[in-house]
Order: sequence, then structure tokens, then C-alpha cells
Amino acid sequence: MNIFKSIFLAFIILLFSLNVFASASDDVKTDSDDFETTVYEDEVYDPFEGVNRAIFSFNNSADKVVLEPIAKGYKKLPPPIQSGVGNFINNLKLPLAAVNQLLQGQGKNAMESTGRFLVNSTIGIFGLIDVADDIGLNQKEEDFGQTLATWGVGDGFYIVLPLFGPSNLRDTTGMLMTMMTDPINAYAASQGEAWAIPMRTAANAIDQRSQIIDEVNALRNNSVDYYAAVRSSYYQNRKAAIMNTDDDVLTPLPLISIEFE
Amino acid sequence: MLFVKYFFSLIIIFTPLNLKADEVNDWLNKEINTIISAYQNNNLTNENKFLLIEKTINNNFAGSGIAKFVAGKSWNGATKDTKLEYINLFKRHLALNIASMMRGYSDQNYELVNSRYDKKNKVTLIDMEIFSETGSIQVTWRVKKSKERYFVIDLIVADISLVVTKRSEFNSMLKNTNYNLQDFNIKLLEQNNSSYQKLIN
Repeated sequence: MNIFKSIFLAFIILLFSLNVFASASDDVKTDSDDFETTVYEDEVYDPFEGVNRAIFSFNNSADKVVLEPIAKGYKKLPPPIQSGVGNFINNLKLPLAAVNQLLQGQGKNAMESTGRFLVNSTIGIFGLIDVADDIGLNQKEEDFGQTLATWGVGDGFYIVLPLFGPSNLRDTTGMLMTMMTDPINAYAASQGEAWAIPMRTAANAIDQRSQIIDEVNALRNNSVDYYAAVRSSYYQNRKAAIMNTDDDVLTPLPLISIEFE
Repeated sequence: MLFVKYFFSLIIIFTPLNLKADEVNDWLNKEINTIISAYQNNNLTNENKFLLIEKTINNNFAGSGIAKFVAGKSWNGATKDTKLEYINLFKRHLALNIASMMRGYSDQNYELVNSRYDKKNKVTLIDMEIFSETGSIQVTWRVKKSKERYFVIDLIVADISLVVTKRSEFNSMLKNTNYNLQDFNIKLLEQNNSSYQKLIN
């Protein structure tokens, strides 16, 4: 176990050291003269595109064969069961969300997340019912990837993780930090119930996937380059999550000419 | 008396803004209803449903402008004929994307919950909430007025802009054809045919 921990820590340190150079990779920009319309980044740093595309292809197949059919089956369950499962999973994320909110200096949000966790875990019957939402304690997700971004760590290069999907160097580091520090997982492991950890991950994946069945299919069926579409979507979504801003404020406004419609 | 003056001044100032917001909301609501109704009309074949939806989208989206924006740097080097062919292909591509997405929402309830005017960019942003039995999803429409008409210039779902995603996606493919729009048109046509078959079957 100690050896495993040492290797794991060494890996984290390695990822951090690579993140030091991440800012350089963030300088990749398109030339403003390339476009008549507007100026903003629409290129991401993807030096391992070949490998990423291969993993993406594997993930896509796994999704079509395993995850999507399970998510579609899950979607057929009575809505109260789906809501209950979703609420339960989201409730378990709250302790770490509160920690990340504190680390990002969001004291008010951290208080709300803590209150939300306490209310839903008790009155909401172990988080199955989202009572807190009704009293104005809304879900605000924060993770270590977002915390690192707030601290100025750059994206780093784009990575497609086997089964976990799109990520980048910073967010992968954040994901590993989450795995190491999640109090619910730590508690399960300490009680000899480590089997619950992958079960929780799988349940979360199914619940999340069930919510975007139509959107994923629309993107998959209509993209000239599905890989690039997912990569762009990932970066836009993460950028919005990091900035905690309304989408319309953050998403670059294309200066569309409509004179010749 | 002074209070009354101020009150009426405020009313006069804000009334045109409210009228404008109502006007654009009503227009968008009507067009979304046309698309949703097409899906819910069991008397129409899938081909005819799509044709009706495509017509609605082509009439209301700034298709040519979006096409040009999405083409990025390949636009300048293309001939006029190639550009025209590309615009036609892109308009169908856009219609297929939106029709495919809206099909998923056709059995759900929706509501235009909020709209605001971005003075700087002269764009109206309209939030639409789509309700399912287990939750809701927010879609933001970016609408611009030109020649006394409204045009949708972008659609944002879960913080992801359709136009920005398309541009990134097209750019990735165009790189492989050395930003040659004519070669890209062949790929776009193939993709449109594949998407169309998936949508109508």
C-alpha cells in the first residue's frame, strides 16, 4: 500500500511539474488576420492528437456498446428513482465541493454547500431528496481542476483518458487529487468497502450520461469531426465552470455578418 | 407631482425596451413552435418533417454569415462558386444539427424564461428552459436584428456554443485539406447525406 502511495505521489508531483510548463502551451492562438470576423482562441494544444484520437475511438465504441444502452435503460426507470439516484450521487460530491470552494476563496458558497450536505443528508434521507434546493441552497460544483485553474495553473495539453473521456493535464491532476482526498471514498476504503468506490464512479457516469443522450447523439451523428467537436465542447464547458460566469457572458460572441442573408 | 413626472419618465424610457423584448420573444416562440409541431405531426413523413424544419431554420438563422464565420481562414482563398456551394451545404448541415437536437426535445415542455439585450454587441439573448421529468436544461439563443427582421446567430447549450464548436470542428478538418474549401465541400456533402439518413430513418 505504501509503495502504491509513493508511486501515486510521485505521479502527482510529475504532473504538477508538467503543469509548470502548461502556461507556454496556452499561448497557442490563431492569427487574428486569419479571420475576417472576430479574434479568439479556437485552437487547443493537442500535441498527442494521434494517441488521443485512438483512445477517443475506443471510448466512443465503449460508449455505444456499454454506457449508452445502460443510460437509456436507466432513463426508462420511474423519474422519482432517477432523481433519487442523481440526488444521492450529487450529495456525496458536496464535502469535496465545499473544500474546493474554500480553496478558491468562495466562503459563502462553501457554507451553502456544507448546509446543503447537512440538510439533504438528514431531512433529505441520505441525500435521496433534494430538500436544500427548495430552501435556496443550490448545487454549485467545484473540483480540484477548477481550483488549480483559479490558482493560475494553465490547461496544459489535451488528453483523452481511457473510459473517463476528455480532459487536460490540469484537470487530470485535479481528478487524481479528488480520488486521493475524497472523504466518502476514504471512509468506504477504511471500512473495507472499497468496492463501493468504482460502483459510485460507474453510477455517476450512468446518471450523467443519461442526461445528455439526445445532445451526444446529435453531436455524434452530425459532426464532420466528432473528436474535434467533443474537444471544443469540453474546453468551452470547463472554461464556463472555472469562471463561474453566465454562459452568455463567457462564450465568445461570433461577429456574424447578416447583410447577405 | 415631481414623483409622478419621474414615474412617467421611467415608464416612457422602459416601455420601448419591453416591447422589443416581447417582440423578439414572440417571434422566437413562434418559430420554435413550428419546429416542435412538425415533429409532433404524425401525418407528416420523416422527410417532410425535416423539410419543414429546414425551411424554418433557413428562414430564421443567419446561415450564410455563420457559414462564413465557421469556414475561418479557408474562406478568403475560395472561388465564388465554391463559396456558394459551401453556403448551401452548410445551411443543410446546420438544419440537420438543429433538427437532430430539437427532435430530442420535441416531447418535452419548454419555456422562454429570460431575455436581455446586449447593447454593446446589439444582440438579444433569450434563455429557454426545457423541462424533462427529472430536471431541466437551459438553451440560450443569440438573436440579432437586421433590416427589421430577426436572425438567430448562435445557440448555446450547457455553456457550449454551436457556432464555436462548428468552427473548431471544421477547422480541424480543413487543416487536413490545406484549408481548401472545395475539397472540404465533398466531405461536408458526405456528412450531410449520412446525417440525413440517420435523421429520417
